[in-house]
Amino acid sequence: MSTATLDRDRNSGMWDVTARTIVYAAIGAALYAVLAQFQVTLPGTANVALRPGFAIVTFFGFAFGPIVGLFVGLVGNAIADQISGWGLLTSWNWSLANGLAGLLAGVFGVTLAGTIRNRLALSAVSAILAVAIGFLFVFSDLVLGSAESFEAALTANYLPVLIGNAIVAGILTPILVAAWEPLRESMGR
Amino acid sequence: MNVAPRYLGRGSWLARRDPRVLIVSLAFFVVTVVQVWDLRILAVLAVTAYAYYRSARIPFREVRLQWGYVIFFVSFLVIVNTLLTGGELRGYGVEELHVYFNVPLLGTPISAESVTYAIAQYMRFLSMAAVGFPIAFAIAPGDIGPAFARLGVPYKFAYGLELTFRFVPSLAADLQTTIDAQRVRGYEWEAKGRSPIGKVRRTIPLVTPLTMNAVIGAEDTIDAMDLRGFGTQRRTWLRQLALDGTDRLVLLFFGGLLAAVTALSVAGLTQLWVPQLLIDLASA
Repeated sequence: MSTATLDRDRNSGMWDVTARTIVYAAIGAALYAVLAQFQVTLPGTANVALRPGFAIVTFFGFAFGPIVGLFVGLVGNAIADQISGWGLLTSWNWSLANGLAGLLAGVFGVTLAGTIRNRLALSAVSAILAVAIGFLFVFSDLVLGSAESFEAALTANYLPVLIGNAIVAGILTPILVAAWEPLRESMGR
Repeated sequence: MNVAPRYLGRGSWLARRDPRVLIVSLAFFVVTVVQVWDLRILAVLAVTAYAYYRSARIPFREVRLQWGYVIFFVSFLVIVNTLLTGGELRGYGVEELHVYFNVPLLGTPISAESVTYAIAQYMRFLSMAAVGFPIAFAIAPGDIGPAFARLGVPYKFAYGLELTFRFVPSLAADLQTTIDAQRVRGYEWEAKGRSPIGKVRRTIPLVTPLTMNAVIGAEDTIDAMDLRGFGTQRRTWLRQLALDGTDRLVLLFFGGLLAAVTALSVAGLTQLWVPQLLIDLASA
């Protein structure tokens, strides 16, 4: 890789879209779509599933920026739905909620960096906050008719996804960051 | 593990359409369906969706697992919504319901209205799934990027979409390789007797190497794109797309359907409609 390209990437802001942004976004979305096949249902609940693959969304958002996080969540979830048969756009609002979580993980990773010095703690806090705020968008099911009441949207949609994804993101995002940071240093990123 | 979309509809009438037609038709159809609760209109939309799906000639034996997943998930949505709403559905108060019986323990009334609501939900989601299937199975994988680019998606993101579809099969193969390699070391994800959080932790030996290998491997692709000047100016596509007369007719049909249903919705004619037969059953 040329020095000029390396310098350009180091100096680029979190909203810049370069070849690196696009390739990381595509890799992340494909990883999320593939890993979405793994699910663990919490005992005693009907629909609280832990999806380890979701950590890819918050990790890519945190490590590579909000644009990458948005793409990974939005496109990765849509493709996972398409592969499973649910359809690319049938639950477009859930794909957008995943994308918002990825975007916010990237934004919080930058904005909270001055407050939380430890990178692993920062990644966990950013990921959990991103899930809690980003997935508020699933309340759009009330408008689209997929949830019949606020109570149904809260107890059947928002809370299960909040609990499941926050557990996964809180555990796996720091682990992925811990694995990535030394690699990033050695690669000169 | 085969998670890659397969081109099962190759050569069919729908696969011969411009790929933009399939994407725009789905978008029109989804917006159309979400406005409707009237079973009579939904029946028309379901027949339309079925005819559209059949024109892709996707062999059922190849996609029965996907249909099974859809039916399971819709059933879950319907049951949860019916049980959690306490009988109040689509503007019907509890006192207006024609009740068959109450669910033991929960007390939720099962009524002519809730049964109609359940049928409507099934028809809505199965119709949307039927129109969505051809995007996975009747678009040539190489047409994804140009199709989205020609629909106005910025070319960098359109290229990202195409890359995503290309990466899915190779990453699925890498995942299988990683699983096999870890099994040689005694790893078993499916091992019983662990808590759910333990199961999540047990995915670490899979997720971490797979992700790190993918990110490191991305460097080659990034270098190749940089060397070809990706991002320096607007990209053109080798594949040229052009709408023919039939494509325009299909788009006109789905656009017309959306316009007609929107007009009915504004006039308040798409609300939940309960068949008299179901009401009569309550008083029988």
